[in-house]
Amino acid sequence: METTILECREISKSFGGVRALKKVDFSLRQGEVHALVGENGAGKSTLIRIISGALLPDEGEIWYGGQKVEITSPRLAQGMGISAVYQDPLIYPYLSVVENIFLGREIKTPRGNIDWKRQEEKAQELFASLNIAPHFLRQPMGELSVGLQQLVLIAKALAYESQVIIFDEPTAILTEHEAERLFQIIETLREQGVGIIYISHRLEEIFQIADRVTVMRDGEVVGDYPLSAVNREMIVELMAGKHLVEEIEHGGEKSEQPVLVVKNLTKKGKFEDISFEAFQGEILAFSGLVGSGRTDVAQAIFGIISPDSGEIYYRGEKFKVHSPRHAMEQGIAYLPEDRKSQGLFPILSVSYNITVSILRQITNHLGIVNTRKEREIAEKYVKELSIRTPGLEAKVFSLSGGNQQKVVLAKWLGVNPRILILDEPTRGIDVAAKAEVHQMIAQLVERGIVVIIISSELPEVLKLADRVIVMHEGKITGVFEGEDISSTNLVRAATGERVLPGKSD
Amino acid sequence: MINFQRIVRRREFTVLVLILILSAIFSFTTERFLSVSNITNLLLQLSGVAITAIGMTMVIITGGIDVSAGSTLGMACVVSGYLLMGGYSPFLALVLAVLVGLGIGFVNGAIIVWGDVPPIIATLGMMNLIRALMFQTLGGRWISGIPPACRTIGLGKWLGVPIPMWIATFLIIVFSYFLSYRPLGRHIYAVGNNPEAARVSGVNLKSTIIFVYALTGALAGFAGLINAARTGIVQTNSGMGFELDVIAAVVLGGTSALGGRGTIIGSLLGAFLVGIIKNGMVLLNVPALSEGLVIGALIIISVLADIIRARRETR
Repeated sequence: METTILECREISKSFGGVRALKKVDFSLRQGEVHALVGENGAGKSTLIRIISGALLPDEGEIWYGGQKVEITSPRLAQGMGISAVYQDPLIYPYLSVVENIFLGREIKTPRGNIDWKRQEEKAQELFASLNIAPHFLRQPMGELSVGLQQLVLIAKALAYESQVIIFDEPTAILTEHEAERLFQIIETLREQGVGIIYISHRLEEIFQIADRVTVMRDGEVVGDYPLSAVNREMIVELMAGKHLVEEIEHGGEKSEQPVLVVKNLTKKGKFEDISFEAFQGEILAFSGLVGSGRTDVAQAIFGIISPDSGEIYYRGEKFKVHSPRHAMEQGIAYLPEDRKSQGLFPILSVSYNITVSILRQITNHLGIVNTRKEREIAEKYVKELSIRTPGLEAKVFSLSGGNQQKVVLAKWLGVNPRILILDEPTRGIDVAAKAEVHQMIAQLVERGIVVIIISSELPEVLKLADRVIVMHEGKITGVFEGEDISSTNLVRAATGERVLPGKSD
Repeated sequence: MINFQRIVRRREFTVLVLILILSAIFSFTTERFLSVSNITNLLLQLSGVAITAIGMTMVIITGGIDVSAGSTLGMACVVSGYLLMGGYSPFLALVLAVLVGLGIGFVNGAIIVWGDVPPIIATLGMMNLIRALMFQTLGGRWISGIPPACRTIGLGKWLGVPIPMWIATFLIIVFSYFLSYRPLGRHIYAVGNNPEAARVSGVNLKSTIIFVYALTGALAGFAGLINAARTGIVQTNSGMGFELDVIAAVVLGGTSALGGRGTIIGSLLGAFLVGIIKNGMVLLNVPALSEGLVIGALIIISVLADIIRARRETR
């Protein structure tokens, strides 16, 4: 048996009262490919961020090479021999491949200058050990394909003589051919005795290359098996688990005719052949993994990105959307997933944030904003959504996350939308605020607003949705209604199994 | 009820106190500071800065900058100078000066919006380009002897206050109102604080940005006419370095170099501060070098204060 190189014992970590990891045990042997799987928010990334030094655990111990260690920074982790290759390669596009490999750890001449010759020789060696002929050493990194960029990062990890390499969704950005090459390299690394932590949502890959799999759910390890002892179904069951969710009832009545019809909508590299209908009186949810293209579809309907082909019909008529402003004027509102970058004006007041989209509707005939009306509207929503703020003039950055989210929601309710798309409406807000937002969503449906939710949290989808569309890598892989909305079904579709009733291929 | 604490914590208050302190110092240390002729002169000089600073405030609120304002002023001087010398009506000169400025500002905005060129680069290019055009037009000569009859807008007084100051005051009131009560004015803050969120909120980013540069150009053009009328002379270097005074006034007046906040009143006070420092130091016979030292230091201090505040807020 190979020796254990890395061991995490009872690691716990909380973020603002939310437990992200609960007494997690994890171990990695030399020359082992250890897969780490789980839904979004299961705690995988928190765990690898702790292992790679980006986060410190609240409790628990890390043992590395037989010693108890404290990994306080990514730099320290790299020095110790723990490297991570992330999904989006972190590169310096204008610097050469050699510079990217040795940046911050340059090989120097005795006088302290950079020894270019030896760096290049060393780089040659590194790529040779990966069985790659490096004809691109002097090229700027940005000119390489993402697949090659990833290889450079692996070479960089080897330059640090890494004992542990973490791969976070490495194949998400690769072509099939590139992925095959990566698997061969991983095989080579394994033979060299490197321990590999492999995170992927593509379960078939895991069966192809991994020796062991650890399944996480809700911040806990729910299974640690040799690959030979499990099958796909078991892993899906473990990932999905049993969610005890009380469904929220709403009194909305589903309309006969759909309000929104999307047909074969395609945006190259983002989503493909997306068709669905949305009705008044029901909550339609988009489920799936982060990056599966759900947000892009929503942004295409709202006019932030323009699709390459496909059609949108709105209230029975063909609808071509030019800009967010146009979509808004037509009654479509979109609450963005990232409220910090797309939703809020942090240094401006609560009142300003709520009314910014409707200023033109509350002007008099001279085009002057009616400030009394503005204050009334802001007051109304602060009350209705119980936004806790010291006052209408308070700057939004001083509010809690949940209340900030309610401010963004208030802005969109203010435009009186016919269709309201909510992208991750409860991300990063506390449990109480979350429950309030859920109640509010139910009320909106009763009022006749067509509500479309995008959510990565299974419990949220199970709780709210009347109908669920699951996306995987830009395609719809499942549509569920009523009884069929189960965590197992959603996870199956989210990991790429096609679960389309009557539409399977 | 008036919240004194909030007033005291505003930048405008700090600048006002500084103005009062400096005025007190200068009136004790020099004989001429409080004289009617000196104050008239001071107001005349800073009115052009104050007028252009209205637009510059909006530009900086959007997170941009316009360093071509001085050249724009110069070009407007040339145009109005020729027209006034040629016996055309001062009104026509006014309209054309403003139009020339508007055109230059519009091109600035268009390059920034459609070319995705950083504002400092776009306006720096424009600054040099316009200055070269001025040189070309004047051919190394200068215009002097503009007939006194046409110079009322620069030299006249009403109720003892120079007319340019009345114009500045009027424009400041109008545009302060615009920033607070017109949708477009309010959107300028949104664009500066978070452009992406502004776009998602239905604000037309491009037209908002073009508007602020076009307005700054038009106001610099207006200031150019006033300048030509006031001095009666137009030279190749008319308005050279003027943009720095305007930017200094805006930044000292509390408009955030990071975008998203600022007031026109603040910029007016900033203009007074810059004007008084310059004026007082001349009266004290201090070498011109130290003037740059003081204003430069004040700018750095005020931007640092702004950044420290922003840091505290994001934490």
